[in-house]
Amino acid sequence: MTSRGSPSRFLTSVLHNGVGRYVRQLQRLQLLFSPTAADARGARQFVEEVALDFARQHPDVVLYVRPCSNPTPVLVAEYLNGTVREELITSKTSEEILQLATKLAGQSGLDIIRIRKPFHTDNPSIQGQWHPLTNKPSILTVRGPRLQAQ
Amino acid sequence: MASYTKAAQQWATFARAWYLLDAKLQPPGKIAAETVIRLEGRHKPIYHALSDCGDHVVIINTRHIAFSGNKWEQKVYSSHTGYPGGFKQVTATQLHLKDPTAIVKLTIYRMLPKNLQRRTMMQRLHLFPEDVIPEDIEKNLLQEIPQPRVVPKRLDEYTPEEIAAFPRVWTPPKDFRWK
Repeated sequence: MTSRGSPSRFLTSVLHNGVGRYVRQLQRLQLLFSPTAADARGARQFVEEVALDFARQHPDVVLYVRPCSNPTPVLVAEYLNGTVREELITSKTSEEILQLATKLAGQSGLDIIRIRKPFHTDNPSIQGQWHPLTNKPSILTVRGPRLQAQ
Repeated sequence: MASYTKAAQQWATFARAWYLLDAKLQPPGKIAAETVIRLEGRHKPIYHALSDCGDHVVIINTRHIAFSGNKWEQKVYSSHTGYPGGFKQVTATQLHLKDPTAIVKLTIYRMLPKNLQRRTMMQRLHLFPEDVIPEDIEKNLLQEIPQPRVVPKRLDEYTPEEIAAFPRVWTPPKDFRWK
């Protein structure tokens, strides 16, 4: 009943869903790729053609481009809440990498796991939580139903 | 800012209330419908099928329930003992004479959802053939559930003054001869 097997969390919002001022949660994006490997061909093409435009369109994201010797090409996204997500871009084309980077830039950094309840409020009821005596006559707290008849 | 802790608030929200229901001259099905809602907790705004939020229901006067029509003679309660030839059938009258709480209990049991919580919810049901309740149960009672049917008043329950004051359609003359 509790589904302990799969990780889950409750629905939360970062900074009131951006109401007031939107703060991008992605702070740093690293592109690690090999300058020679065949499976990093798309990554190299991304650096040559798209990376500058991407950085201009996302001035609030720091984009690092790091050629390393023989790593698996990977996009490392670091978020304001400390989450670090690594996305493999092995054998991906430049468009696919751009699509992935744009998606990472739009995300909040919260874990993408099962959400237990699809409702959330930052302002719980100011009337107080419901309990069995809510909206009932207060005489019930001191006298039961059979005493009232007397 | 609330003066109580979140734990106390949680306990208050999920506290179990005890309801009283007078079954005098009430149809068993209507009693069961009222009771099942409260045993399941479906009358609460916090109801959820997976949270065990049912209340207790105390039903008194189950000996004095009222069936409509000729159900006392015609309605048949069947059971099987499990042995060959163990199929038993009794009418409502016979069952009621044997156990005055059985009809109400069976009706409620059959109206509850057929799941693992059914036995637990039945344990929160307290049936009494008359209006005598043990002290420990009576002190838990919170509220009385309104009866689904208006209890009719018999003629011998009216005082002579009330009967005399009852408006008449036609006043017989002094020399009227009653046949």
